[in-house]
Amino acid sequence: MSVDQRGAQEPQGPQVGADEWVARQAHRREYLPSWLGRAQRASERIGWWPRLALAGLAGAVLPSFGLGGFQLQVGIDALVIALLAVGLNIVVGWAGLLDLGFIAFFGFGAYGFALLSSAQIGSAGIHLQAWLSIPIVMVGAAILGLGVGLPSRRLIGDYLAIVTLFLGEAFVEFTNNVAPSKLGGPNGITSIDPIRAFGFQLTTNPGYYYLLVIVLVVTMAVLRLLENSRTGRAWRAVREDPLAAAAMTIPVNRVKLSAFACGAMVAALAGTIYAAQQANVFPTDFDTPILILIYAGLVLGGAGSIAGAATGALVVMVIYDGLLRSPAEAGYLFYGLVLLTVLVKLRPWRRLGVVLAATIAFGFAARAIARAASASAVAGGPGSSGWIARAVRDWVIVPANATVAGNFGFVALICLLIALVQVSSRWRTILLPPTLYLASFVWETRLVTEPSVTRQLMIGAILIVMMNARPQGLLGQRRVEVPA
Amino acid sequence: MSFFFQELVNGVTTGALYSLVALGFSMVYGVLKLLNFAHGDLYMVGAYIGFFVIQWFGGAAHLTIPVPLLLLIMFVLAAGVVGGLGVAMERFAYRPLRDAPRIAPLITAIGISFFLESAALLLFGAQYRVYNTAEFISLSSGIQIGSVTIDSVQIMVLVLGIALMAGLRLLVNRTKLGKQMRAVAADREAAEMLGINVNFVITVTFFLGSALAGVAGVMGGLLFNQVTSTIGFIAGLKAFTAAVVGGIGSIPGAMLGGLLIGLAESFVTGYISSTYTNLLVFGLLIVVMLVRPSGLLGQAQLQKV
Amino acid sequence: MSEANQGQSVSAGPGEAVLELDQLSLSFGGLKALSGLDLTVRDREVISVIGPNGAGKTTVFNVITGVYEPSSGDVRFAGQSIAGRAPHVIARAGIARTFQTLRLFMNMSVIENVMAATYGHTKAMPWESVLRLPRARREEREVRTLAEEVLSFFGQRLAGYRWDQPAYSLSYANRRRLEIARALASRPRVLLLDEPAAGMNPAETHEVTELIGRLRDERGVAILVIEHDMHVVAGCSDRVVALDHGVKIAEGGFDQVASHPAVVEAYMGRHPEDLAEAE
Repeated sequence: MSVDQRGAQEPQGPQVGADEWVARQAHRREYLPSWLGRAQRASERIGWWPRLALAGLAGAVLPSFGLGGFQLQVGIDALVIALLAVGLNIVVGWAGLLDLGFIAFFGFGAYGFALLSSAQIGSAGIHLQAWLSIPIVMVGAAILGLGVGLPSRRLIGDYLAIVTLFLGEAFVEFTNNVAPSKLGGPNGITSIDPIRAFGFQLTTNPGYYYLLVIVLVVTMAVLRLLENSRTGRAWRAVREDPLAAAAMTIPVNRVKLSAFACGAMVAALAGTIYAAQQANVFPTDFDTPILILIYAGLVLGGAGSIAGAATGALVVMVIYDGLLRSPAEAGYLFYGLVLLTVLVKLRPWRRLGVVLAATIAFGFAARAIARAASASAVAGGPGSSGWIARAVRDWVIVPANATVAGNFGFVALICLLIALVQVSSRWRTILLPPTLYLASFVWETRLVTEPSVTRQLMIGAILIVMMNARPQGLLGQRRVEVPA
Repeated sequence: MSFFFQELVNGVTTGALYSLVALGFSMVYGVLKLLNFAHGDLYMVGAYIGFFVIQWFGGAAHLTIPVPLLLLIMFVLAAGVVGGLGVAMERFAYRPLRDAPRIAPLITAIGISFFLESAALLLFGAQYRVYNTAEFISLSSGIQIGSVTIDSVQIMVLVLGIALMAGLRLLVNRTKLGKQMRAVAADREAAEMLGINVNFVITVTFFLGSALAGVAGVMGGLLFNQVTSTIGFIAGLKAFTAAVVGGIGSIPGAMLGGLLIGLAESFVTGYISSTYTNLLVFGLLIVVMLVRPSGLLGQAQLQKV
Repeated sequence: MSEANQGQSVSAGPGEAVLELDQLSLSFGGLKALSGLDLTVRDREVISVIGPNGAGKTTVFNVITGVYEPSSGDVRFAGQSIAGRAPHVIARAGIARTFQTLRLFMNMSVIENVMAATYGHTKAMPWESVLRLPRARREEREVRTLAEEVLSFFGQRLAGYRWDQPAYSLSYANRRRLEIARALASRPRVLLLDEPAAGMNPAETHEVTELIGRLRDERGVAILVIEHDMHVVAGCSDRVVALDHGVKIAEGGFDQVASHPAVVEAYMGRHPEDLAEAE
């Protein structure tokens, strides 16, 4: 067979071993499992720009479904984190630079706006209008980004992570301790002006909500244009292989610096709006836990994908803040998530049914045994409220002294979950009902009563589970890494 | 002048503590090339364990067993439990990601760190737990050189710290296991092909490193008295600094780095002010990273094209 | 874009000297990787570099492309010294390369891989791209056209639907072709190919040999090829240079070099009796 003949064959549908058809279908592996994947494929037929427009529209229309004051604040916080995640995506997702001090740019933006729009500096203070102060702060952040990026020239991966982490911590220490009269020390800066421009003023929460939706949509659009431009290609090439990129005319260091600068500008933008809306800033607003939130959003949604970053951050923030609301709503979230996971992962349907039935039976049996053994073992009531509490009251064991038992249960649950991942499929089916029951037990005794801790546990769990199970996130592309 | 020597003593003592944590951190980096962000939280768990041991035996003021026995139990239990926790971390979170791109285990480590801190908050509550060391180890015991005091706790920390470091050095340089550890650190694939049980070596390394962190946690509790869920974060940062300044992957480097950080902290707190301590320690790190990224005793990385 | 040899599609034989290595030496600590290497590469000439493993062949490429700075000696491109310049500057000047162990941008699509290499020859700033200013749009069109043209050089292999597929989905041979295409996109005057036929079967090897000839004739580039497969070396070289332990031991036509006693000894070792004699 001559060489030319082989190359000119037309693909004729599935042929085992012929790489043409496989190559054409390879993209089908990228989607989420089962019906989620079908939804993904359907949405992709719409096209990126129409999807962005639809999402923006949905976001704008959402408040009119009767969002209360608290929910609107949650929405605002979620949008701010989404904007931050989209900015972080430039640095981590595209250029592959693990910046653990990203939060410092957010803080710079917030403090910068605060200093320029309050009574803090000088006798009467500077009260620049937003259309002046925001660009100034963004440019300042870009310069700071260049400064932070300079060490990255000589640092690879892990070292860069440490140095940026320290710079992030240094920012908190700096604003906490240095020049307290100007920067406010631990008490921060208060009475920051709202966003003012050309006679207009934004003073209401709905106003900031709409502003954030617009800013997020515009930023995502700008980044999409950048992604497919020469700059975006250079960023991604630098992530893939800096040595090869340099051999292909790309000035690697300059490109890395531009990634830092762009990410910093987006973060600073988010910071300015945040400062204006909150009307005050404190050093602890920009500490590492917030950074971890942004990373959780980025990792969940998918680093490398603009839509992924925004979606992941929105989901994380809604759950994170949602867990602080009434125990009933938190219960919906918890039981809903558990059931969803089981529904998606457990096949065939018969197995799913057996596991659910077994869980319920196991619960009643365990409770009966516990009640027979000791009355105080079931004396307490479930921590949830609403119809969930009524539903599980006679099913889940809640002792009188819930805290200690719940703590032991928590440790046992972690061990069981680890075991679940390790064992074979048959053992997994057997272990699942007790694990589900134990999860409900721990939820009702401990987790639902301490929402502020539970939500942190959830963030940590997201990071661990996503990296192990689906590192490309929900909407990201699977990456192939060649060992260096 | 005596003030200088007092600060020197304090610095060396805390330096020994940081060295222990940095050692474990450096060892893990050596064999896995992984920055275990959760390492500082192992220190925190150790500190809590020490506290609960004290409570189990009657509490600081009314101990039911003699102090040396108490200390022994504290250290052994902390080493064992925290070592086991480290092994579990490696086995279930890091091993599946052995061949994944570096960013994956790094982010997992951040997740584990956050999870551990939150779990500690859930299980032990937010209130500070206090060792009250003075209740069972009298402050007046110790030695006095001129006007410089070295109290018993400091002596114990120094002695134990040095002993552990010497023991580790012996293990790594003189035993077969140590040789295997060095081999795995140099080239994991080659070590595997030479018949070394890489998984076992990595497990042992993690156990030892984590156990050291646990012991350091108990020491920290005895020295600084207060234990809460966030002490791990700061300890971790200082351990990173120490390990990196000394040269990551290098055991003598971790010891040297810990000492330097301890001394730097002590002198800055003593002579300038405690508010700027952390900032200046961070600054030291940045300077070392820019001037000599491989640290003082580390080896520069070569890249083959 | 740069003024490389775009229009010269006539194989007019070697032109003027475009790359000169002048007493090039490189030492790593005590290890002498290269010693006093002299080499002149002319336009539209194919020179093969052969030698046993560890002879310093890839090191020569690394020094030329700026990965290493020579300890002594000089590298001149079109008369200008480029020794010690940054790799991306040298690449922009007109020297492109492929790698012994493929270094593609695996997670980027085929066409993005090629388009990325045009970075140094385009000037659009990020804001121009975002605002879709005329220069950015024009450059994007030109870059796209260039990429498609370069990929079409390989016929059906890297055609049509393959453009948007990630590079990791390509077969091994196609990956090697993509790397050459990517190098071509940076408009080089000198192309350095590091073991282009490694891991290929005889049919593919034959294709590579023809490819190198076509590259010289149709695109007018000077080519330096490191190869172990003597079929390729014999089939496409105008000149052959043999290295051993960082030193040039022979230069000339293929037959001349292949039968040179120093070359034979470097590859095959010395006869044991001769070795004992030399002691």
